[in-house]
Amino acid sequence: MKNKRIKEDVEHKEWEQSFIKSKDFKKIFYYNQKTNVRFGLTFMATLIDENIIQDGILPNLLEDEFSEIEDIKQLVPVADVQICDDPSLIEQKLMNGYVMLTIETELKHFGFIAAQKEIVRGLSHPEVEFSVIGPKEAFVESMGQNLNLIRKRLPVKELIIEEFTLGSLSKTSVAILYMENITNEDNVNTVRQRLKNVKFDAITDSSYIVQLISDNSNSPFPQLLDTERPDRVAGILAEGKIAIVVDGSPHVLITPTTLVEFFSSFEDYFLNWILSSFFRLIRLFAVAFSILITPIYVATLSYHYELIPKDLMSTLITSRREIPFPPILEALFLELTIELLREAGARLPTKVGQTIGIVGGIVIGTASVEAGLTSNVLLIIVALAALASFTTPVYRMGNTIRLLRFPFLFFAELWGLLGIVFCFCVLLTHLTRLTSLGRPFLEPLYPPRVVDMKDALIRLPFEKQSKRPIFLRTKNPIRFNKKKAKKKKDIDE
Amino acid sequence: MKEQPIPERLQISPFLVFYMVMSIQIGIGVLGYQRIIAMDAGYDAWISILFAGGCIHVIVWLIYKICETAGGDIVTAHKYVAGNFIGKALSAIFIAYFILFSLTVLRTFIEVIQVWMFPEISTFWFSFAFMALCVYIIFGGFRTVVGIAFFGLVLPAYLLLTFGWAIKFSNFYNLLPIWDHSIKELLTASYHMSLAFIGFESIIFFYPFIKEPKKSQKWAHFAVLTTTIIYTILAIITFAYFSEDQLSKQIWPSLTMWKIVEMPFVERFEYIGIANWNLIILPNVCISVWIASRLIKRVFNIRQKAGVFFVVAAVLSIINFLDTRKEINTLNDYVGKMGFIFNFIYIPLLFAAVMMTKKLKKGKKK
Repeated sequence: MKNKRIKEDVEHKEWEQSFIKSKDFKKIFYYNQKTNVRFGLTFMATLIDENIIQDGILPNLLEDEFSEIEDIKQLVPVADVQICDDPSLIEQKLMNGYVMLTIETELKHFGFIAAQKEIVRGLSHPEVEFSVIGPKEAFVESMGQNLNLIRKRLPVKELIIEEFTLGSLSKTSVAILYMENITNEDNVNTVRQRLKNVKFDAITDSSYIVQLISDNSNSPFPQLLDTERPDRVAGILAEGKIAIVVDGSPHVLITPTTLVEFFSSFEDYFLNWILSSFFRLIRLFAVAFSILITPIYVATLSYHYELIPKDLMSTLITSRREIPFPPILEALFLELTIELLREAGARLPTKVGQTIGIVGGIVIGTASVEAGLTSNVLLIIVALAALASFTTPVYRMGNTIRLLRFPFLFFAELWGLLGIVFCFCVLLTHLTRLTSLGRPFLEPLYPPRVVDMKDALIRLPFEKQSKRPIFLRTKNPIRFNKKKAKKKKDIDE
Repeated sequence: MKEQPIPERLQISPFLVFYMVMSIQIGIGVLGYQRIIAMDAGYDAWISILFAGGCIHVIVWLIYKICETAGGDIVTAHKYVAGNFIGKALSAIFIAYFILFSLTVLRTFIEVIQVWMFPEISTFWFSFAFMALCVYIIFGGFRTVVGIAFFGLVLPAYLLLTFGWAIKFSNFYNLLPIWDHSIKELLTASYHMSLAFIGFESIIFFYPFIKEPKKSQKWAHFAVLTTTIIYTILAIITFAYFSEDQLSKQIWPSLTMWKIVEMPFVERFEYIGIANWNLIILPNVCISVWIASRLIKRVFNIRQKAGVFFVVAAVLSIINFLDTRKEINTLNDYVGKMGFIFNFIYIPLLFAAVMMTKKLKKGKKK
């Protein structure tokens, strides 16, 4: 086989100008053993799977008889073979991992044979949205793999996958998924339109899409939910929402979403409804606590001591007796320390990060109390608040919550409790104004929709979830016929 | 010239009218109406509240009739009755009314803050921040305004329970004997309730923004009913808690009642209460600024955004000149009077005018 291999000078064609500068651009010529027709293979070595060329393409092309380019469709055992005569396609095809085949007899036509190298990371556990119960698969970077995970969970023809290519440089494939018979057509159109309007050169991750297509890009709140759990995506598709899968990103986006969805973990659906409702409420309480507790500490100790009963006051005074700073500085110092630790922990490798957490948390905390820089009551409060902020199941929202504390602190220092309520009003207004895909973000709290409350602050049992959320305006709002569901038995039947 | 109807996506569901009406009614008046009505009718004043509430139901009914007949808000009604020019001139008066209304509410709230929490807080800067927030809300459109009204009513609703602490220390025999005041005294007390009750007239201004307005009427009545019940219960608790002499010295009896609230981790509940009141005041100011700016748009045909800035600038510039308790009290009295005149005299007159015009127009057609 090797003796037939002749290297020739690359014919200088216009489209090759920049290609030949790259080291992975390969153009090799061979002769067919039977007809002695010369043919060339052009490909990007970094993008194609050498094995496909060696085992699948070359032996057939070398040994079997062919004279026309149309013949290769029968010869090559690859499903994706295309013949065309449009040179403008060459760049795109080569860059997508196709091998270009040219034949001496037919210079105007050429064939493209798919030989992409698929580097697929093995499936792993969800790390950001870990759950004790339930499936342990998480999305990976390859879009094909991710789509497979979703398709397997919803094996119906109504699940539509539409593909787009975004980014003038990155040529990222982006797919939108929806259920044809459920999802509101307007929502799908909005997503399509927004994706088409994306003007950015390199889309390297789904987070870019989040920022590029969200309704209000100046809001600290994420308006698209991202998840790494295929089960969650399947679940929301059945509800009538839309999923956006981006090639190269292990996070799939979900839209439209509401604020409460960011505080519901998918594990809520695996647990009994009483437990999951309880955990949801705990989580909401944790969020409120996390945002408000330090500002309340600052407000009460700066302005309203009278609020605190005598007995509690003496505890607070004792812990603050030696502190040389006003409460706001004390609180800012500790809050910043926690933020610092978190940031350091996030940047370092896991093992080191843990150590840093312990060193920072225990050593710095205790030391600063002993040195008389902060009061131990505040240390407890700040640590609890930080802990509470980690209960949010969606990482993005957790970040937002940590940020929100600072404006609250500022207003607490300015106007005490009044400032906190004022800041809360601003936050409330912001949230009321916010939309996700044009749907109100605070739904079902505002506009108040009692029916949608079944899966918001609490989660009612599945028998009660016979209707899809109203705010999605689905084509088919009924999930299952409640009347047909089996009636419960009466006593002693 | 046909008026453009409000597109459906900007309209609100009928039941939200309940929150709109209630949240603009409950505002600054609740903090101190008990003393004022007790001055005239003594501890029979709760009857006056019920009577005033009953009257308001009639007015709400009139308002809906006016809007239905004229097919729009008050500007349309004025045009319907008095033609374009005079109609607009009449509507323009209400711009001033609502600017004054928001001014009164805001200034009185700041006074409460200054007396109870922060004597040093700058009237101007607090109003500035407050009005900036209002601008942010109103720029979000009517739906956001309604959203704030909704939250401004629902979230602080827990405050009602805190008045329960006062019941423990109340003596309900204070209310006896019932009906030892003349009808005239009771009516005067009802009249003095107007500051606490006004606000429901805002329906006549946002009527075109209601989806299926006919369905909303029952919600408006329900809102008025709820407010009346809350006011009556609160008044009865107050009367039972304070003796008549003591009450006459309390400018804000509701706040004083909070002093008795005691929990393991909180004393002096009035701080939390007043801070929370911010959320109750917000829709009051917001809705009135929205109405004023909307009127500016309708009457002078300029952008509502410009109107909002005009109203806010007006409020911010006047608020600096109101410093003393006496001035604020006078302002409250005037706005109460204006509200009374508008609601109980002007609206029936307008109703009569609309009905007559309707008959005349029908007669012409024949």
